[in-house]
Amino acid sequence: MPIKLKKIVPHIALMTYVVIILFPFVFVVFSSLKENNVEIAQSPFSFPKELYFKNYSTAWVQAKIDTYFFNSAYLATSSAVVGVLLAAATAFALTRMKFRVASKIIYQVVLIGMLIPGNVLFIAQYLLMKDLHILNKHWSLFLPYTAGALPFSVLLITAFMKAIPNELEEAAIIDGLKAHGLFFKIVLPLTVPALVTVFIINFLGNWNEYLLANFFINKDSLRTLPTGMVGFRDSYQMNYALICTGIVFSVAPVLLLYTILQRQIIEGLTAGSLKG
Amino acid sequence: MKNTLKNPVVYLLFIIPTIAMYGLFFLYPMFSSLFYAFTNWTGLDETQFVGMSNFTRAFSDTNFHGAIINNMYFILFSVGLQVPLIIVFALLISNVKRFQGFYKTTVFIPSILSTSVIGILWSFIYDPDIGPISAFLGKFGIEPIYWLAESDLALIAILITNAWQWIGFYIVLVLAAILAIPKEIDEAASIDGANATQRAWYLTVPLIKPIISVVVMLSIAGAMRVVDIVLVMTNGGPFGSTEVMASFMVNKAIKYGEYGYGTSLSIIIFAFALVLTAIYQLTLGRTERIEY
Repeated sequence: MPIKLKKIVPHIALMTYVVIILFPFVFVVFSSLKENNVEIAQSPFSFPKELYFKNYSTAWVQAKIDTYFFNSAYLATSSAVVGVLLAAATAFALTRMKFRVASKIIYQVVLIGMLIPGNVLFIAQYLLMKDLHILNKHWSLFLPYTAGALPFSVLLITAFMKAIPNELEEAAIIDGLKAHGLFFKIVLPLTVPALVTVFIINFLGNWNEYLLANFFINKDSLRTLPTGMVGFRDSYQMNYALICTGIVFSVAPVLLLYTILQRQIIEGLTAGSLKG
Repeated sequence: MKNTLKNPVVYLLFIIPTIAMYGLFFLYPMFSSLFYAFTNWTGLDETQFVGMSNFTRAFSDTNFHGAIINNMYFILFSVGLQVPLIIVFALLISNVKRFQGFYKTTVFIPSILSTSVIGILWSFIYDPDIGPISAFLGKFGIEPIYWLAESDLALIAILITNAWQWIGFYIVLVLAAILAIPKEIDEAASIDGANATQRAWYLTVPLIKPIISVVVMLSIAGAMRVVDIVLVMTNGGPFGSTEVMASFMVNKAIKYGEYGYGTSLSIIIFAFALVLTAIYQLTLGRTERIEY
């Protein structure tokens, strides 16, 4: 009996923690299927009396969650893709091409970026976007997102490319491949695992970004999900069922992505934070 | 043929786009921050150099003092309370055989979600009228508590939300370090008669000191940067009781157009973070590499 008990105690502690993590989600999903505040207030912990799916169509159509969702999706994807490609090209030049001194200097300059937390640059970036007349355009998010992710991306991809053996590219050069061919046909395919990791980290960072998105964009049709959701909450302050529906919409895609890619995400983010 | 990898034109083609992006949208704002911080730039009038006056103003601004103290609460809470919990939970997960993968993936979930959505979600949970906490306490006859509307409670409510979001992330980090320790060490101690608690405390914890040190550092850095969650849940209120340095900075700059002053605040935040991590590195964070 004591041995059995010893095995169960950790599970009780951990299950309690898991319940604390999952409870808000269950609560939100239940509430999103209830008809109104009265039902939520009267029986906050119970399953909805009747599944009221109308909240979902209302939120999606009237509240423009579809617009926010699309904005987030394409901004997060495009800047993550561009960032990864830029970083990969740079990492290739730094590690595989024969310009030792220049590469060392450039690498150090890029690494300085790891020291600067994003918030510090917030105002200066705001003023820069103002001067470039791209405030209130998606460029004002795309550019800082892409640029801000470069130091970490270059660092990680460089580390990965350094490990590729020289013989491979020597053979390819003898076969007549030029530098760009070498990059696209040999090195890039070999680096895919690192590229995926970097892409996921950058994508999640962009998808969740709030500060710049909130202050650089004030046109409703251009808002991303994190800011759109805050606006949505503020305008439907009293309709909790609808707010919960909005939360479900904004959380569901990330959770779906997470269930499919959880191993890469966990490994990527933990590796990333350790090297950062 | 030898020159394929020594072609400067190709080299530049590969490098220039990154340098241009990074230079214009990262390095340039970094240097222009250093410039703006010493000006009275408001976006309207002529810009004048005002020397250190933005900085002296910041350090005599009682509202900013309050924000600094709140950042310190974030640090105290995350280092003093969260880190011990993180270590305990990571040890527990590393010791169970069943459901280990389940625990690992579940506790990580909050840290992949948007902070602003988490802020909205928890505002609802704290809601005095229809939130579940109120309903639960109501069963024991406790009156609804206005978590986010009371100066004494709002910061605690935010600290709890912040902990809910990040603890799992660090647990997974620490767990990875624990699982990387060779099994033989633990088995040897077990044969010598050490029980699980002894092994955890005298063996595992000393071996994962480096990662604990990283977690403490990241917690401090995170606590200095915190802003989204405050903006979304209380926007610094009630009566500035939840204002943190970054939210104070953002409001000064954007709401009141005091870009010069705001920028000097951002430099102070950065300096604070640097000094804190340096102090930590030189004192408690000093750890040697551990060889197994």
